[in-house]
Amino acid sequence: MLKCRDLSKSFEKILFNDFNLDLEPGEIIAITGPSGCGKTTLLRCICGLENLSQGNIFLNDVEISNMPAENRGIGLIFQKPVLYPHLNVEGNLRLASKEGDSDISNALIEVNLNGFESRKVETLSGGEAQRVALARALLASPEVLLLDEPFSSLDEELSGKLAKEVRDLLKKRNCPAILVTHNKTIAKSFADRVIALE
Amino acid sequence: MITVLLPLMMLSGCISESIDKITEEGEIAPEEYVWEDDGELVIVTYDVTGLTDDMITKFEEQTGYEINLMKLDDAGSVLSHLLQYKGVQIADLAIGLDNTYLQTAIENDVLWEHFANFSNISEEALIHYDGPLAVPFDQGYMCLNYDTEIVDDVNLTVPTSLWNLTEDDWNGKVAIPSPETSSPGRAFMTATVDYFENDQDNTTDWTDWWTAMAGNDAIITTGWSEAYETHYTGGYGEYTNGYVGDANIVVSYCHSPGVEAWYNGNWTKSKALDLPRAAFHQVEYVSAVQGGNLDAASAFIEYLLSEEVNVNMPTENFMYSVLDGTDLPEEGGYRYHSTIPTKAAEINATVIADNMENWLAEWNDAMVAA
Amino acid sequence: MANKYLASIAVGLYSILIIVPLWLALDRLVWVAGYDVTEWLSSLDKNFISQGVLEFTILQALLSTVATLALGIPIAWQLGRYHWPFQSLIRSLLTMPFVMPSIVAAMGFMHIIGENGLDIRTNRDTWFLTLIIAHSWFNLSLVIRFCEPVLSTLEPSMEEQLRLLPGGKTKWDRFRHLWAPLLIPSVAAAACMTFVFSFTSFALVRWITLGENTLESMMASIGSSSGIKGYMVSKNEIILGSSLIQFTILLFSLWLMSWLQHRRQTLLPTASEKVVKKKNALGWIFVIPALLFAVLPLIALAISSFRITESSANGTKKYWGTDGWEYAFTSTASLPSAWDALYNSVGYAIITLLIAVPLGWILAQSIRDLEQFRPKLARTLDLFTMLPFAVSSVMIGLGVMLGMIRINAEFFYSMWLTPVLAHVMITTPFVVRIILPALRSLDPSYDECAQTLGLSPFKRFFLIKIPMLRGSIIVASIFTLAISMGEFGASWVVTRNSDWTTLPIMVDSIRSIPYNNSLTAPAANAVSTVLMIIALILFVSTEKFRAKRDGGMF
Repeated sequence: MLKCRDLSKSFEKILFNDFNLDLEPGEIIAITGPSGCGKTTLLRCICGLENLSQGNIFLNDVEISNMPAENRGIGLIFQKPVLYPHLNVEGNLRLASKEGDSDISNALIEVNLNGFESRKVETLSGGEAQRVALARALLASPEVLLLDEPFSSLDEELSGKLAKEVRDLLKKRNCPAILVTHNKTIAKSFADRVIALE
Repeated sequence: MITVLLPLMMLSGCISESIDKITEEGEIAPEEYVWEDDGELVIVTYDVTGLTDDMITKFEEQTGYEINLMKLDDAGSVLSHLLQYKGVQIADLAIGLDNTYLQTAIENDVLWEHFANFSNISEEALIHYDGPLAVPFDQGYMCLNYDTEIVDDVNLTVPTSLWNLTEDDWNGKVAIPSPETSSPGRAFMTATVDYFENDQDNTTDWTDWWTAMAGNDAIITTGWSEAYETHYTGGYGEYTNGYVGDANIVVSYCHSPGVEAWYNGNWTKSKALDLPRAAFHQVEYVSAVQGGNLDAASAFIEYLLSEEVNVNMPTENFMYSVLDGTDLPEEGGYRYHSTIPTKAAEINATVIADNMENWLAEWNDAMVAA
Repeated sequence: MANKYLASIAVGLYSILIIVPLWLALDRLVWVAGYDVTEWLSSLDKNFISQGVLEFTILQALLSTVATLALGIPIAWQLGRYHWPFQSLIRSLLTMPFVMPSIVAAMGFMHIIGENGLDIRTNRDTWFLTLIIAHSWFNLSLVIRFCEPVLSTLEPSMEEQLRLLPGGKTKWDRFRHLWAPLLIPSVAAAACMTFVFSFTSFALVRWITLGENTLESMMASIGSSSGIKGYMVSKNEIILGSSLIQFTILLFSLWLMSWLQHRRQTLLPTASEKVVKKKNALGWIFVIPALLFAVLPLIALAISSFRITESSANGTKKYWGTDGWEYAFTSTASLPSAWDALYNSVGYAIITLLIAVPLGWILAQSIRDLEQFRPKLARTLDLFTMLPFAVSSVMIGLGVMLGMIRINAEFFYSMWLTPVLAHVMITTPFVVRIILPALRSLDPSYDECAQTLGLSPFKRFFLIKIPMLRGSIIVASIFTLAISMGEFGASWVVTRNSDWTTLPIMVDSIRSIPYNNSLTAPAANAVSTVLMIIALILFVSTEKFRAKRDGGMF
C-alpha cells in the first residue's frame, strides 16, 4: 500500500540513507532507534512536511514524493498534542471533517472521550489531548497514519494503556500505521513488525 | 544602507531634468491656452481679512460661481505655489502678491491677461504696475509702529534714525517680518535699501544695518501677524492668545494705529514712526492665473474692484482702497490716528524687479554674519 | 508557490510606495540644488533661516531624553517593584500620553495654566522648559513600558540570593549589581526612542516655541517653496542637507535600539507578577503627581474648549459656552467644518488600515519565511521595512507632495486619497513591528498539523493562522488607526497641496487664524478634544489586547 524506495536525506550530516519500506493494508509497523537518528525526519518526509534528498514514495501505486502534505492523505500525530487553543474540542475535530455532528460524537466515543465536545483545550490532560488529536486525525480518513512518539510525554502506565487503545482502534478501522519510538517495549506491543533504524 | 542611498541621490536630478525638457518642448504658448469654465473659482491667497464670508457668498450669489479658497501662510507662499504648479496650475486667481513680489511672478509666466472691466482706479495705485497681468485692489504705506506708552522719551526714546534701533536699549525689542516670506517684510527691506543709500553715512550700507539688527536680537518672524500680534505691545495683540509682548516697535502700516483706534473707540497707544524713506508704498494685486478659469477670474476681479466692494477696503481689509477719490473713514478716529508718511522710499518697480533676488541674498548673508 | 508570488508583489508594492515618491522628491531637489553634498550640508550654516537649527534640534532632543529618563525611571521603579491597587489602570493612565496626537499634546500644554493668566509663552525663557516638559510628558510612556516589566517580573530568588551574598548587602549594592545591569538595556532603548521622537518633533515645536525650529519643522515650512528650478535654491540645499543629517542620525538611533533590544532578549527567569510585590505607601509621592502630570494637559484642554475669553481695550469678558464648538463645526468659505475633517480623518484611517495591515502582514510573513533559509536577506528586508522610521514624516510628506506634482498636479490635488499614501508609508512599519514577533512566536507545528489534516493553504490561513494571531492583528489595526488619525507632519505638508483636511491639521489651521478672534482657541481645543477622545477609545481597546509581558513599545 505504501512503498518507500531508497529514501535518503542529509542536512549537514546523513540522517538516513536508502531507506526502504513496504506497508501492507492494515499493517502496523514500528520504527525504533536512538534519539536524534532521524526517525522523526523520516516520518515528516513521508507525510510531506519535509523534502527528501533522494528517493520515491508511492501510495497505492501513485507517486506522492512531490505532492504537498495536505494532498497526500497521510496523517501525523505529533509528539506533543497539537490542539488549537482558539477552538474547543469540537472545533478541533471539525477541522478534519466535512461531515456532520454525529461523526464528531462517534469519533469521540471511539477514543473514550464521550461528551467532550464543548471542553476547552487547556482543560484537557496530556492523555486526553492526545486522544483528541487521534480522533481528529482519524476523522480525516487518512490512508496511512504516522505517529511520532506520541506516548513519550505521558507516564509509563498511562502510555502503555493508551498504546493498547490506539492499536485496537487502528486495527478496528483497518488503518495502516507507522509508529516511531525509542521505547522498544511499546514498539513490540504496538506493532506487527519492528524496524530498527541505525 | 547609506551606501545604497547616496549613489541613488547622485543619480537623481535626471528625471526632473528630462521631464522638464519634455514639458518645455510640449509647452503651448500662452495665447493658445484654452480654459474650462467649470463654474468654480479657485483662489490662492493668504489670510486676507477682506475676503469675508459675506463677500464671498455675495459674489457666489451674483455670479453663480462657486468659490474654493486655498489659504496659504503669506505672500511668499502664494508666489511659491504659483511657481510650484507652473504649467499645471490649480488656482484660477491669485490674491495678495504685492509690488515686491509681482515682478517675479510676471517673469516666470504664471499670470494671465484678464478681461475684467473696471474704471476709476487712482493713478497712485497704478504707479508700480499698470498692465493686464495684475490689478491693484488695495494699497498702503509700510511704517514702523511704536508703543507710545513705553517709547515715551522716558523709558525709551523715539528713534530719529534707524541706527537707534541697533543700540542696547532696543535689544530684543524690535519685531520685523522676514522679507523672504512676508510682503510687509519685503517692503520694509526694500525701504531700507533706499534709506541707507540716502543717509549721511557713506561708510555703511543697508546690509550693515541688518547685521547690526541681527546682533541686537531683532525678532524676525515669518509673517506680519506673528510680529504684530505675538510680539508688539502697542496693538491688539495683548488681547489674543499666545501673546508674548516683547517688542515695542514693529513693522506695520502707517495707518495701523488708525485701525487700532477704530476698534477701540478713538483711542490707541500705537503710533507710526514717520522717518523719511523708512516708509514704503505697497500695492497689493489680484491676478488671473495662467491656464485657469479666466471667465470666473475676470468676474471676481471686477467684483473686487467694484464700488460697493472696494470702497470698504479700510474697514473690511484695513488697507486703503485703490479707487479714485476714496480715503480712510473718519469714524472712530481711523483717519485721525493714521499717518501719511512725509517721504516714502523711492524705488521704482524696474529697480525692484532687477535687484530683488540679489537683495534677498544679501539680506540673508547680512543676517548670518551677525 | 503562491506565497513567493505574494511576497514579491508585496515587497515590490512597498518599494514603489516608499521609494518612488521619496526618489522623485529627491530628484527634484537635486535637480534644483545640484549634486554637491558639501553644499547641502554647509547651507545649514550659510542661511539665516537654518542657522542654529541643527544645534537646537540636538540640544532639545538630548535634554528631553534626560528629563524623560529622570522622570520616568523613578516612576517605573515604583510601579514595577511595589504593589499598587488598580495596577493596570495606573499603568494605562501613565502610558496614555504616548498615543495622543502631537497636536493634542501641543494644545494641551498651551492651556495647562493659561487660564490663570500664566501663559507659558509670555516669557522668553519659559518656553524652552515647557517644550522639554512636553516632550517628557509624551515619552514617559516609553520608559515605563520598557522598564517596568523587567522590574516587575524578575524571579524574586535572584534578588533574594543577592541579599545573602557580600556583594548585595546594601540597597545601593543590589542596585549596582543587579538592577542597573538589568535595566540598562531597557533604559538605553527607551532613551533612543525618546531621542528619535524629540528629534523629529514638529507640532510641539511649532506651537510651544517662539519661532524656533527643529530640522523637521523647518523642512515643513520651507518645503512648499522647494523644487522650483532657479528659485530659492538655498532652500533646496537646506532640505537636502537636513534630510541627510536627520536620516543618518535617525538610522543610527534605530540601529542602536534594535541592537539593544536583541541584547535584552537574553532570557531572565521571570515570575508571575502576582508573586513579587509589597506595598509602598511613600511611593504615592511619586505616583500621584505622575498621574496628575499625565492627565492634566488633557483635562485642561477639554475644559478650555468651553471657556471663551473676549478681550479688547474695553475690558475682558470670560464665559462658559459651546460657541467654540459651534464655530469649529460650522463650515465657512475659508475653513471647512470639523465634520468634514472628521469624515476625512476617519476615512483615511480606515483605508490606511485596509492597505497597511495586509501589506505589513505579507512583509512580516516574508521576513519570517526568509529567516529560515536566508537570514541575511531577512534582516535586510526587515531593515528595509523600517525605512520610513528613519525618513521622518515631513520628508515623507515632501516625498508625496514633490513626487506627485510632476506626475499629475491636478489629479493629486483633487484626489481625496492622496494623504493616504503618506499614512500608509508611515504605518506599515508599525504593522510589521507588531506582527513579526507574533509570527515568530507561532509554533510551526500548528500549521504542519493542519497540513496533515488535509487543509488547503487558504483554509489554514483563515481557520488557523488568523484566529491564532488575532490579538496582534487587532493591536496592529488599532495602532494603524491611531497613527493615521493623529498624524501631523506628513499631512501638514500634503494638505497644503490638496483640497482636503484632517482633524489634526484643522486644529492647526484654526489656531493659526490671526486677529483677535475669541473663538479660535476654544474651537481649536474643541477639535483637539474630539481627537483626544478618539485616541483614548483606540488606546483603551489596545490595552485589552496587549501582551503585557513583552516590555517593548507595543
